Amino acid sequence: MPSDRVVVIGAGPAGLEAARLAAELGSPVTLIEKKDVAGGMPIHADYAALTHHFRPASEAMGVMVDAVTGNDQIDLRVGTEVTSVEGELGDFSVTVGTNGSSETIDAGAIILATGFKHFDPGRETQQYQYYELPDVITIADAEKMLKSGEFLTPSTGKKPERVAFIQCVGSRDRQIGNEYCSKVCCGISSKQAIEIREMVPDARVFIFYIDMRMYGYWENEIYWPAQEQHRVNYVKGIITEILPKKGRLMVRGEDTTMGRPMEVEMDVVILAVGMEPSAGTTEMSGVLDLPTNKYGFIETSHDVLDTVTTDVPGVFATGASVGPADLDDSISSAGAAAAKAVALLRSAKVPV
Amino acid sequence: MSAIAPAALFTGDRGATLSPDSYLDVSYDDKLALWEEVKADERFPTYLYGCYECGICVAACPSARFYDFSPRKIAQAAAREDVELIYEQMNDDVWQCSQCFSCNRCPRENSPGGLITLLREVSVKNGLASARDALEGYGRVVYKIMTTGTQISPDMLQPDAFPDWGPDVKTTSDNLDLWRRALPPETLHTTEMSWVVSEETLIELYLIWLHSDVMDMIEEVDEGLHMIILDVMEETLEDAGYEI
Amino acid sequence: MTDTTFIPLSEIRKAPVPDPADAPTADIREQLFELEAAGELIVQRVPEPYIEVMTKYGRTKKIPEQMTWHHKSCGQCGHIPGYSTSIFWLNRQFGLSYEDPTDQTSCTAWNYYASATSNAVAQAGVASRNFAAAYATGYFPMIHCGTSYGHYKEVRNEIVHHADLRAKVRDIMAKLDKPLVMPEEIVHYSEWIHAMRDRIAERQVRDFSGIVASIHPACHYYKLVTEDAIYDPDIYGGQRTATVTGIVESLGATVGDYSTFFDCCGFGFRHILVQRDFSRSFATQRKIEIMKEEANPDVVITHDTGCVTTLDKSQFATKAHQRNVGVPVLSDAQFAALAMGAHPYRVVQLHWHATDYTALLEKMGIDWEKAWAEFEADLKRLESGEIEYLSWEDADAK
Repeated sequence: MPSDRVVVIGAGPAGLEAARLAAELGSPVTLIEKKDVAGGMPIHADYAALTHHFRPASEAMGVMVDAVTGNDQIDLRVGTEVTSVEGELGDFSVTVGTNGSSETIDAGAIILATGFKHFDPGRETQQYQYYELPDVITIADAEKMLKSGEFLTPSTGKKPERVAFIQCVGSRDRQIGNEYCSKVCCGISSKQAIEIREMVPDARVFIFYIDMRMYGYWENEIYWPAQEQHRVNYVKGIITEILPKKGRLMVRGEDTTMGRPMEVEMDVVILAVGMEPSAGTTEMSGVLDLPTNKYGFIETSHDVLDTVTTDVPGVFATGASVGPADLDDSISSAGAAAAKAVALLRSAKVPV
Repeated sequence: MSAIAPAALFTGDRGATLSPDSYLDVSYDDKLALWEEVKADERFPTYLYGCYECGICVAACPSARFYDFSPRKIAQAAAREDVELIYEQMNDDVWQCSQCFSCNRCPRENSPGGLITLLREVSVKNGLASARDALEGYGRVVYKIMTTGTQISPDMLQPDAFPDWGPDVKTTSDNLDLWRRALPPETLHTTEMSWVVSEETLIELYLIWLHSDVMDMIEEVDEGLHMIILDVMEETLEDAGYEI
Repeated sequence: MTDTTFIPLSEIRKAPVPDPADAPTADIREQLFELEAAGELIVQRVPEPYIEVMTKYGRTKKIPEQMTWHHKSCGQCGHIPGYSTSIFWLNRQFGLSYEDPTDQTSCTAWNYYASATSNAVAQAGVASRNFAAAYATGYFPMIHCGTSYGHYKEVRNEIVHHADLRAKVRDIMAKLDKPLVMPEEIVHYSEWIHAMRDRIAERQVRDFSGIVASIHPACHYYKLVTEDAIYDPDIYGGQRTATVTGIVESLGATVGDYSTFFDCCGFGFRHILVQRDFSRSFATQRKIEIMKEEANPDVVITHDTGCVTTLDKSQFATKAHQRNVGVPVLSDAQFAALAMGAHPYRVVQLHWHATDYTALLEKMGIDWEKAWAEFEADLKRLESGEIEYLSWEDADAK
C-alpha cells in the first residue's frame, strides 16, 4: 500500500540520526534494529571515548537513542530483522520478524544503515598471532578495557610497561583484498594511546604506522598533543611478526626512518583493525537488490555531489554500510539520506 | 593477481634520478637498456605495484640483518624507475639477497626478491662484471647441475671445499664409496650424481637447455665453463643420434 | 624448560575455521581445469585414496596416500641421504606403493636462485619434463624438497597466467615427445607426513615424551604461494603453518617455541656454497642460539634440505668461536622414522650429520653404540664383497 513512512534499517549512529531527522521533517518512521539494544557499534562493542573530543561514547549514544525513543513519530523495533522487501518508491512492503512472528510494514522510502564489522585479525597476512597470544588484542578489545577503567596486560593482570599499536591491520592490503583505508583507525589509536598514557603514566606507548592519517583538526587536536604532551612514540614502519619471548611479546619491524630492522619487546600489542561490511549489510544488499562494490560495501550512485542515493529509487544507504566512515561522516550522511528521502516522497506526491 | 603496467614516466629524462652519480663510466643509455630488459620480462608486472614504505620486507629479510641491504630500497628504486640507482643496485646489492621470499609478505603484493631474480638474470645475460664476480667459484656447481641434472653430488663434499663444516667432511669423503653402498634406496648407489639419472633423462635435459637460451647466459658468465658444458652435452646428444 | 609464556586462548578467543568463500585469491586448481578444458594442458589427478587437509584460507587440499612418484632432492640425496631414505622407509612400513624414478632431474631451483644462470622458460621446462615423466607412470608427484615445492608452485602460477610462456614450454615438451602436464596439487612429502601423523603415532615404539623439539618451517614451503600451505585452528590457533609441528606433537614430543620462528635459516642458495659466513652467522645468531636460550631443545626439526644442511653444518665453525650451539638437526621424516623404530644408521643414516646427536638418541632410549656396531658390521660385509649394497631387508634386520 502507498505510504509516506520512512523505514530505517539499523539503529547505530547513522540509523539513529536518519530516523530522528526524517521524523523532525514530518515523516512517520520505523527504525529496525537486529540486536536487542539500539546504539550500534559504539554500544555493542562497549566503546569508551569517541575520538572527537574524548566524549564518552555511551553518553553521546545515550543522547542519540533518547532522541528516538522519546519521539512519538518513531517506532523503534529492536530484536527485529528485515526478511524481505517488495514494491517500489512510495509503495514498499517491508516484512520483518521478531521472535518468530512476522509482520509487513508499508513504507515509502528505505534508508539502509547497517554499519560495519571489525576486521578479524586471524585473517591477517602478517604474523600477529591474535588467536595464539592473549596479550595481542584489537582496538575493539582495548576500548572495552578502557571503558572498564583499567588498562592491564591480559596474561599477567599487571600494568604494562610497554604498549604498541600496529596500524592498518586488515586495510590497505592487496593480499587480504581490503585495499582501502579504513579512515578511523589512526585517530582511534592516537586517542587510545593518549588514554593509556593517562591511565598508566609509567607506560611507554608506540604507534607503528605506514602513514598517519590525521585529517583536518585531528592533526592539531590529537596527533600533536599525543606526541608533545603525552609522549606517544610514532615510528614509521609496520610490524610484521609478533612472537612470545621470555614472557613478553617480541615485535619485529623495520624502523624505516633509521633504515634498519628492529626487534623490541612489548607487554601489550593493539591491532588497529579496519572496517569490513557487516553481516547485515551483506544480507540487506541481497534483500534490497542493491549492488555492492568489490569489497562488499553498498554501491551508491557514485556521484560525489550525492553520497547516499542508490540505483534503486527510494532506497538510500548511509554510514559505514557504504564504506569506512567516521562518526561525523556517518551522522552527516545520515542527515543527507533523511532529507533526500523525505524530499523525494514529497515530490513524488505519495498519497497518505 | 592483477598486473599493472605503468607508463614509463621518468626513464626518458636523465635528470629525473634522485640519486648521486655512480658508475659514471657506463652510459645512461646502457643502463636504461638493462632496465627496459627487466621490465620486458613477462613476470615483471606481477612483481611490482606501488610501494608505501611500510618496511615489512626489510623486517622479514635475513640479508637486511647481515649486509647493508634493503629490499624496500630495491622496490622503491624500481617503482621510481631511477635508472642510475637501479644500475648501482644491480651491481652492488642484488647478489646479497638470499632468495628466501620472506619479502613476499608485502601487502602491496610486490616481490622484491622476484625483482632481484629478474635483475640478476638480466645482469647475467649481459655479462656484467659484478655477476661474473659473484659467481666466481660457483662454476663447478653450474657444471654439475647442467650436465648431471643434480646439484651437489656426494663427491663434491671435499674437505678443501667445506673445511668449516668440520672433520666429518673428511670422514665422509674418505668413506664415500662404502657409505653410498650402505644406502637401501637403489637410486642412491652413485657418487657422481645425487641419484642415478637415466641417460634418456639427461638427453631431455640437454635439449631443454639448448631450446631455452640458457647456454647463451652461461657463455656470458664464464666462457670456459660454457665450452666444457657444451662439449659434454654435444657428445651425449651426438651419440644418441641428435644433430646440434 | 622454556622461558616463553604461552597461555592457551581457547576459552577467551576461539580461532575460527576460515571460510574458503572469503579466500582473497582465485583457486589455481580451478584455473588449471579451465586450461585443460581449453586443450592447453593436461591436469594429472590425485589418485584415490587421498587424505584431505585444510590450507591457509580454508580450502581443502588432497594428499595422495600412495601411488606416489618421488621427486627427490639433490641436496638430500647428495649429502643427507638418511632424509630421503627415511621418507621411503615410512612409505614401505605402511605397505604403500611408490616409485623412486631415475627418470627425474633436480628441479634446478637451487642453481636458479643461486646464480640466475637460467630463465623462466628453462625452469618451467625442467618442471614440466619431470611432471610429464610422472604422468607417464601414472604415479603422482610427491616433492621431497621445500625449494622444489616452492619453485614448482611459482612455475605453476607462471604457466597458468602467461600464455606466451605456456606456449613456449609446450613447444619444448613437444620436441621431447611429451605433453604439457601439471599435477592437480603440488604436494610436499611433509604434508603427507602431516596427513598420516595419527597413523604414524599409532605405530610409535619409542617414547618421545621427554624430548623438546624446536620447529623450523621452511621459507619456500609457506612464504612462497602462501595459500597452499597447511593450517589448522588447533595448531597455533591457525596462525602459523601446522606442518612439522603436527607430527612432532602427535609423536608426544614437546614443542619448544622461540621468538625467531619465522626467520629464514640463512641457506641463501649461493651463500651456503660460496659465501658461508652469511649462512653460518644467520643460522647461529638468528636460529640456533635463540632456540637454545629460549627453549633449550633436544633437537631441531625441519622439513627442507637446505634448512637441515644450514642448521646442522653451521654449528661446527661457530662452536669453535664459543657460540652457544650444539643441538642436532633432523627432518620430520627422520624423526618419525626413529619414532617408529627405524635403525639410526641403516635407515636414518645419522653418520652423515655434523652436530652430535648421541644425547638425543639416548633420550629416545636408543643404544646407539650397539646400533653403530651393527652398522659397522654391515660396512664390513660391504667391504668384503659379501654384499654389494645394503638392502631394505638388511635395514630392518633385528
